[in-house]
Amino acid sequence: MIRIAAVGDVHVDSDVLGRFRPALEELPDQADVLLVAGDLTRHGTVEEARCFATEFGGLGVPVVTVLGNHDHQSDQQSRVVDVLTASDITVLEGEATVLELHGTRLGIAGVKGFGGGFAGACASNFGEREMKDFVSTTEVLAERLQDALLSVQVDALVALTHYAPVPDTLLGEPLEIYAFLGCYQLGRAIDAAPTTLALHGHAHHGSERGRTPGGVPVRNVAHPVIKQAYNVYQLLSEEADLELVAT
Amino acid sequence: MSTQIDEYLEAEIQSLLTDGRVAELGITVHRREHQLVLGGDVECENRRDEICRQISSRFPDVEIVCDIGIIRAQAPTEVEEIS
Ligand SMILES: [Fe+2]
Ligand SMILES: [Fe+2]
Repeated sequence: MIRIAAVGDVHVDSDVLGRFRPALEELPDQADVLLVAGDLTRHGTVEEARCFATEFGGLGVPVVTVLGNHDHQSDQQSRVVDVLTASDITVLEGEATVLELHGTRLGIAGVKGFGGGFAGACASNFGEREMKDFVSTTEVLAERLQDALLSVQVDALVALTHYAPVPDTLLGEPLEIYAFLGCYQLGRAIDAAPTTLALHGHAHHGSERGRTPGGVPVRNVAHPVIKQAYNVYQLLSEEADLELVAT
Repeated sequence: MSTQIDEYLEAEIQSLLTDGRVAELGITVHRREHQLVLGGDVECENRRDEICRQISSRFPDVEIVCDIGIIRAQAPTEVEEIS
């Protein structure tokens, strides 16, 4: 059994320092790892990255993140990543990491992702250079997620993105902005691998639960959606039951 | 000349909230007669007050109603099993 804590869109700056910490201090009793689904900071500055590291670092469990659009706002994303990495916070940008937890291998593949839309209402790689650049970005990031998901051999596999891989978890957002909140290519990448769970943020007014067309559970863990410091998901419960039977 | 409360004003407020120091993309703006009602959730009180302050100082003759909430940040009490 593995327990994953997850939240996204915490948008930390100096104003937010201390808001999450009391709940985070309890986290090691509730979960084995914390995943943060992007929009770690408000404007993506180095100072805000330090604030995030202060608030979310040094928890006693691994912290694995992806960046969000806010973390790109100041064009300092590589320095933001450096600050986080120096604080032992993993940032996945189209890569995977494997954690050994209680003898079980948990794989986490992560990428920020991008917009583009969903079946019947999506942008195409056609026309003006700007449009082709937009959709190419979507496609490249989804391919990187797929490669990352397929690169590991694990007992449980989690896809971590900022943008949504399905429209289900956007319910509550205006339909007109779905194409800026996620894309079907991320869902297709998740379905191309034996993914156990997909986590995303970004859709502050969306809803919590959905599934990919291939049946993978999707959870929108944006803080305004879950309305608590983090959610906890339990994976491989059957194996826990089997272990109990065996002993 | 008093500020017209129309769709362009709403758009201007949205861009004020995203361009400036505030950087909040999730604030909703609705018209209610001669008032503008702000909604959505932010991470802390300072941020909510800053949003209202910026809009009021840019559009001093518009009556603002601030319904922006602060998102709770307590630890969870339940675990969801994924199967
Ligand atoms: Fe966000
Ligand atoms: Fe976002």
